[in-house]
Amino acid sequence: MPIARIARNTLLTALVIAAFVVSYRVTEADFPRLFRDLAKGKDLLTAFLTPDVFTRDVETRTVSIVFPIPCGSAPTESLLPSEGPRLVPSVLCAAPLETFTLQGFDLQPNSEVVIRWRLPDGRTMTAIRTETDANGYFTYEVQARPIQSTVDGVASRLEVDTLTPVGGLKPSQALKDVMDNMFVTIFMALLSTTLATVIAAPLSFLAASNITRKGCLGTAVYYLFRSFFNLMRSYDPLVMATVFGFWLSFGPFPGFLALTVVTIASLGKLFSEAVENIDAGPVEALNATGAPPLHVVRYGVVPQIVPDFISYIIYHWDINVRISTIIGFVGGGGIGYYLNLSINDFKWNQAGTAIWAIVIVVWAMDFLSSEIRKRLT
Amino acid sequence: MLRIQNLSKTYPSGTQALKNVSFDVKDGEFMVVIGLSGSGKSTLLRCINRLIEPTEGKIFWDDLDITAAPPADLRRIRRKIGMVFQQFNLVKRSTVLTNVLSGRLGYVNPWTSLLGIWSQEDRQHAIQALERVGIADKAGSRADALSGGQQQRVGIARALMQDPKLILADEPVASLDPVLSHSILQYLEQLNKEGITVICSLHFLDLVHRYATRVVALKDGVKVFEGAAREIDRAKFKEIYGEEAQEVRAASL
Ligand SMILES: Nc1ncnc2c1ncn2[C@@H]1O[C@H](COP(=O)(O)OP(=O)(O)OP(=O)(O)O)[C@@H](O)[C@H]1O
Ligand SMILES: [Mg+2]
Repeated sequence: MPIARIARNTLLTALVIAAFVVSYRVTEADFPRLFRDLAKGKDLLTAFLTPDVFTRDVETRTVSIVFPIPCGSAPTESLLPSEGPRLVPSVLCAAPLETFTLQGFDLQPNSEVVIRWRLPDGRTMTAIRTETDANGYFTYEVQARPIQSTVDGVASRLEVDTLTPVGGLKPSQALKDVMDNMFVTIFMALLSTTLATVIAAPLSFLAASNITRKGCLGTAVYYLFRSFFNLMRSYDPLVMATVFGFWLSFGPFPGFLALTVVTIASLGKLFSEAVENIDAGPVEALNATGAPPLHVVRYGVVPQIVPDFISYIIYHWDINVRISTIIGFVGGGGIGYYLNLSINDFKWNQAGTAIWAIVIVVWAMDFLSSEIRKRLT
Repeated sequence: MLRIQNLSKTYPSGTQALKNVSFDVKDGEFMVVIGLSGSGKSTLLRCINRLIEPTEGKIFWDDLDITAAPPADLRRIRRKIGMVFQQFNLVKRSTVLTNVLSGRLGYVNPWTSLLGIWSQEDRQHAIQALERVGIADKAGSRADALSGGQQQRVGIARALMQDPKLILADEPVASLDPVLSHSILQYLEQLNKEGITVICSLHFLDLVHRYATRVVALKDGVKVFEGAAREIDRAKFKEIYGEEAQEVRAASL
């Protein structure tokens, strides 16, 4: 039947190709765009690579001179000092939009300079930024921006701030916020894992065939808990967090609940499999000594499962840190929420800080959990 | 005296592991059960302390019907029956001392022992049991750090903690080399001389000859022989172990 086989294979190939074409369409795959939009991506990448981590305290010093626009609308600076921090313009007054040279002497060296106009009513305009050299000198071509700025004989002033970093590096506000939120996430994961362990550990024995599946009642209990774990496990924590979120309004609590429920199911299943995989020999031996059933579990089962249990708990804590990050994104609080806010506010450096923190914590948890698990045997 | 009456066991799979087996074990005997692999030796020994529920038949121990005992009574009966296993059945991750102490679980205060608290008296008792089998210095080691022979001695010490009147030993030396086999069986022999009845399944006939005061042979779940070891001649051997049994074994008779 070669013809039938060829026909069948052709049909199958066509179906597979059709499936891929449809998938390509629905995902709106547009790979060239990755390169067309490279500029946008580059900004993001730059922000990501320059996270907002440290700041230094900045000392601001201000010098200013009177600068009437236009000339004659008000008295000019009567006497320009010849020493100390001082501003020296090439002209003492100017017509609107006229350009002149502004020099600064003996200011703070190597500092950021902000040049601006202060209007008589106290408002400021036109901030220009430049820098002083090692001698505290700068020069800049300034345009007389405020048009007809003199009001009731009071002229505008030309102000120059020097911003000098002082003291050592210190953590930025963003870093502090990220750390606070990271703690929320880590402890939310820890608490939900702990609570889930406390509930799942005893229940897992009920879902272990070698312990429970005896007699009619035992078998019923076994299937009940086994299917409970399987059913709960099939729900995605994110979906569950959203459901809890609508019920209990958004915040860390519904996220925590969702995480706990999913972890109970997952740990319950893993635990019960650990219990099922124990060596039955010691249990048999303890039953033979006439030990009560609870003691058989305590002395025959528990020592065998402790390493597995601990390993699963740590593994789950690790996973839950990741999940609670994502849950945070949909409103569950913690670092995910902070990241979401930063992105919505276009605070890319802040977002970069958060992403770095997530990467580091996830990596550290991964490393820690695998190290601890390695030692448990 | 232990009286086994018309004992049968059919597993749920349909395998008939024991068929109408009856025999008596008098106090102080070293009764050895022999038979090919799959003949029902383990099933028989486990029916005696009801680790396996017999399908039919009765087992009496000094007029006490083991087969009819409710759970609480059964535990009280089991306390007095020590058991030693081919695979030692120790809790590998627990210490030797804890393994030995756990032989006492049928007796001690259920609450404190559940918390892992043991009286000084129990600990001393456990150390003494370990001294009897010559490995008191290993009390603090993890059970799986010991060699096979040492683990089996821990198994015997655990049985001793039960203060047993009867010891069931299911191929206690099958995973050990011949020299160790003798050392383990000598411990059992010593206990037997001190008045503990021993029912032990064995594979090697030379060991049977050396230690058994009486022998029961099973074949496909049926008792095909009961008597002294020396009564097993070439013909009996063939009957028990089948025509194709190794000539080497037969030659050793
Ligand atoms: N749990 C069980 N379920 C079903 N069949 C079993 C079970 N245990 C043993 N059997 C069967 O019962 C028969 C007797 O087994 P048993 O273990 O008592 O023999 P044995 O003499 O101890 O063998 P061995 O020397 O290999 O230990 C065998 O056919 C075995 O396959
Ligand atoms: Mg066996």
